[in-house]
Amino acid sequence: MVTHDDILQIARLAKLSVPEEELDALTKDMGEIIEFANTINNAADDGEAFDNINNLSNVLRPDEVAPSLEPQEILKNAKDSENDHFLVKKRVL
Amino acid sequence: MKYEMVAGLETHVELATNTKIFCACTTQFGGEPNTHCCPICIGLPGTLPKLNEQVVNYAIRAGLATNCEIPEISKMDRKNYCYPDLPKAYQISQYDKPLCLNGYVQLSNGRKIRLTRIHIEEDAGKLIHSHGDTYVDYNRGGVPLIEIVSEPDIRSAEEAKEYVEKLQLIMKYIGVSDCKMQEGSMRCDVNISVRPVGSDELGTRTEIKNMNSITFMTKAMEYEFSRQVDILESGGEVEQQTLRYDEVSNTTSSMRGKEDANDYRYFRDPDLVTIFVPKEKVEGIRASLPELPDQKLERYINELEIPENDARLLVKYRKVAEFFEKASEGTKSPRTAANFIIGQIFSILENDSAKEDFEIKVSAESLNELIKLIDDGKIKMNLAKKTLSKMLETGKAPSELIDESDMGGIDDNTLNELCTQAIQSNPNAVADYKGGKTKAIKALVGFVMKNSRGKADASAAEQKLIDMIE
Amino acid sequence: MNKNEGKISRISRSLMNKEYSCTEITNKYLSEIEKLNPQLNAYVNVTAEEALNTAKKVDEKIAKGEKLLPLEGIPMTLKDNISTKGIETTCCSKILEGYKPIYNATVWDALSRCNAVLLGKTNMDEFAMGSSCETSCFGGAKNPHNTNHVAGGSSGGVASAVGGNIAAYGLGSDTGGSIRQPASFCGIVGLKPTYGAVSRYGLIAYASSLDQIGPITTSVEDAAIVFDAISDYDSMDSTSQGRRQNATDSLKNPIKGMKIGIAREYLDGIRDDVKSAVLDAAKVYEQLGAEIVYFDLPALKFALPVYYIIACAEASSNLGRYDGIRYGYKTPKYNDVNDMICKTRSEGFGREVQRRILLGTYVLSAGYYDAYYKKAQNLRGAIVKAFKNAFEQCDLMLAPTVPMTAFECGKAVSDPIETYLTDICTVPVNIAGLPAVSLPCGFNSKGMPIGMQLIGNSFCEHMVLNAAYQYEQSVGADIFKTPDVGVSL
Repeated sequence: MVTHDDILQIARLAKLSVPEEELDALTKDMGEIIEFANTINNAADDGEAFDNINNLSNVLRPDEVAPSLEPQEILKNAKDSENDHFLVKKRVL
Repeated sequence: MKYEMVAGLETHVELATNTKIFCACTTQFGGEPNTHCCPICIGLPGTLPKLNEQVVNYAIRAGLATNCEIPEISKMDRKNYCYPDLPKAYQISQYDKPLCLNGYVQLSNGRKIRLTRIHIEEDAGKLIHSHGDTYVDYNRGGVPLIEIVSEPDIRSAEEAKEYVEKLQLIMKYIGVSDCKMQEGSMRCDVNISVRPVGSDELGTRTEIKNMNSITFMTKAMEYEFSRQVDILESGGEVEQQTLRYDEVSNTTSSMRGKEDANDYRYFRDPDLVTIFVPKEKVEGIRASLPELPDQKLERYINELEIPENDARLLVKYRKVAEFFEKASEGTKSPRTAANFIIGQIFSILENDSAKEDFEIKVSAESLNELIKLIDDGKIKMNLAKKTLSKMLETGKAPSELIDESDMGGIDDNTLNELCTQAIQSNPNAVADYKGGKTKAIKALVGFVMKNSRGKADASAAEQKLIDMIE
Repeated sequence: MNKNEGKISRISRSLMNKEYSCTEITNKYLSEIEKLNPQLNAYVNVTAEEALNTAKKVDEKIAKGEKLLPLEGIPMTLKDNISTKGIETTCCSKILEGYKPIYNATVWDALSRCNAVLLGKTNMDEFAMGSSCETSCFGGAKNPHNTNHVAGGSSGGVASAVGGNIAAYGLGSDTGGSIRQPASFCGIVGLKPTYGAVSRYGLIAYASSLDQIGPITTSVEDAAIVFDAISDYDSMDSTSQGRRQNATDSLKNPIKGMKIGIAREYLDGIRDDVKSAVLDAAKVYEQLGAEIVYFDLPALKFALPVYYIIACAEASSNLGRYDGIRYGYKTPKYNDVNDMICKTRSEGFGREVQRRILLGTYVLSAGYYDAYYKKAQNLRGAIVKAFKNAFEQCDLMLAPTVPMTAFECGKAVSDPIETYLTDICTVPVNIAGLPAVSLPCGFNSKGMPIGMQLIGNSFCEHMVLNAAYQYEQSVGADIFKTPDVGVSL
């Protein structure tokens, strides 16, 4: 059973705000989806953990420096920046 | 009731690689804001990490130098938490399969501090708060770290200090980090609890985050120890929490409330593949390890017959130890080189970090040359000391500072002549000596030394003068 | 019987023979886009200037008598989750509005280097989460066979554009069927390559262990040409391996003696018209000399929940980075940093995306991890094994792509579980990392296309496409038929 509190707790972790008026609907939806996910509970598995899809290992990079980008490029898509820093203002009302 | 401290440390050490852990940006300290960044380390959508091979090698090196086992299979996981300094909202780290397991570091009192694990992970960026606004610089974002996690085996702030210093020294020796706490390349989280002496149980622990100075770490631990003891003695219970230490007030305070407790939702990073470390690779790295500080110390004391205190001073700085070994190579007694270094050379190096850097004008080869001149009886100790002073000032080699004529001391005839001159030129001193003022002989010896330009052997001259006067 | 011809080699030949110039054909596509896009809603961003610049370069090359590369000068499109430097890439989400990548996805790098003519970026379900393209913040793309029906999802825009002949081909991405399902709905060809065959670098992630980029085309030959062009090893993607064999060269191989397997589970709950079209195709294969073998694959029963658990878990982590600080949407009003992040995400992500983030967060959170995520990973291992065993009994597998044909617009969004069920035939190959191509195999009574998929063993795209090509050559343009709209060559 998924409760309002469960939803609020996951939403807090996921950094999503759930408006009061949507809480009921979302709890119901999530309840159904989780019930659907629960169908795997009955599945038998041999307990062998899945590794990675093509069983690759040791894909590594040599420790060689390549040029970084200019800060103008790095900051290009930021809504707010100042003095070559990304900026989050204390509050905007 | 008497209480004891039970502490474990999580020590973050920045690795001295050229590039970041998952991209080719430089790890150089400093730099203008956001100039050491690329699409990968600012987490642009669609970018993928590619693991730096040197990070794996360095971590294994660190593990072997601290007696860890290196499992064959290791992997990278995501630690999910959202914070502006973490551009992907997860830190790529290692959860249940770290590169190194089950090591230890031995303290001078013989106690072993067990290491649970060493894993690799990426550093976060830097937040600058100004008037409540937050400025973000991702230059540090993606710099490789190892996290060295100890068991709760530490019993005092003193032990914690020695443990951290020892880690620092080992990491510097094996060349994986410069461990500069002031630049943040080494920092500790301390888990601490108290219990009645003799008890085997663990009390509720608190965690003091982000200690970046050994001095403050010991202060914080002492403060936290007495705070917890006070709580228990007054019948209270210690609350499990994360603390920050305030250096000014020397107190700890809670960082976040319980409702903010994080749930990191670790899972394997699907963008990175398995790390497979074959036995041969481990043995290869083991074979490439230099002599470690503890091994060096033992050798200096037992084989080179350096007094323990001096030996500790030499081993304490990697560059000093290397210098010492080169300077003393092939000399009659390594103690000569040790004495020059600890005496004359250390006297011009003001503090710890100067000794650490050990930037002096004299090369180990030059000092070695100087000591060999002494060994061969070509120059006397006092001339050698003067010469070393000049070498430290000018960076010149002994051969450039000592004339041929200065070398080899003086022969007996010359000494006879100089002594006769001394007696003739200083009748007063001779009279004083004859009158019982035996110290007056020093003035005559001084005359001989001066006129021989320091080449004469002072004690031989003194004996000759006494013979002549009497 | 008319054969279905490859479009790419046809355009390429025409350019070389100077039947028309690259600028002319590009303009033709651009004007058809202008005409048709208001109905199809396939493109969310038309890059006319970029396209014409490239066309000019190609024309200069032709004028100089230089030889063209296979994809040179061919007008095409990219799904809007493939990063294009300087060109807005939004994943059809409000949260990425205005975002112009500062780097190119590896696939686009490769294609633009050989002067592929990018007509524009195409519509998709927001962050590729959906089966109808209707979770797009721009509204859904429509099916060119009947615009009252959806184009499918999530690569609905690419399928709509290619099926409506307003792009010669396109690249989509397939996490749980997002290339094959819309290709099936629109009656065209869509290849989901082996995991690792095509670089994911620059593909905005939905679920990293499942995502693959692949071609959507109107012919099997085109799919092979595009696959060969984009399937190189890429050092930027740790999971990249590149193709093992060239697919174009294998198309004409005879398939006599090939064993094609049908797992009975794939036929459960499939609508009758779809089922019979797929079984008809099996008969075609028998006529071509292939042997059809039936078997059970019980591990498939749990594929759908396993897929949703793993995909959402990875998505919840992949989508954590959209916090308004570095790119994209940022809420205009907030009280503090945390409030800014929460508001930005809640206002920027659509409902389905938020739902999947919440599910993913839930299955990874303390206390639930073992029951959901870990269990799903174990079952994933079991599914991988089951396919491995299946490929000891056959060379390829044949299955429906979707249990139904394209649904009417607005029908998908109402019930999440009902919508998830449409992915039941497509998700298994993503879970197992296998290659699969969807190709048309008929029309239902309302004239909507039916698709089937051929599934191969890892890195056997050449075999999958070989069998698809033989079928295509055998049934011809009666089945491989796009509506009579857009650019006709």
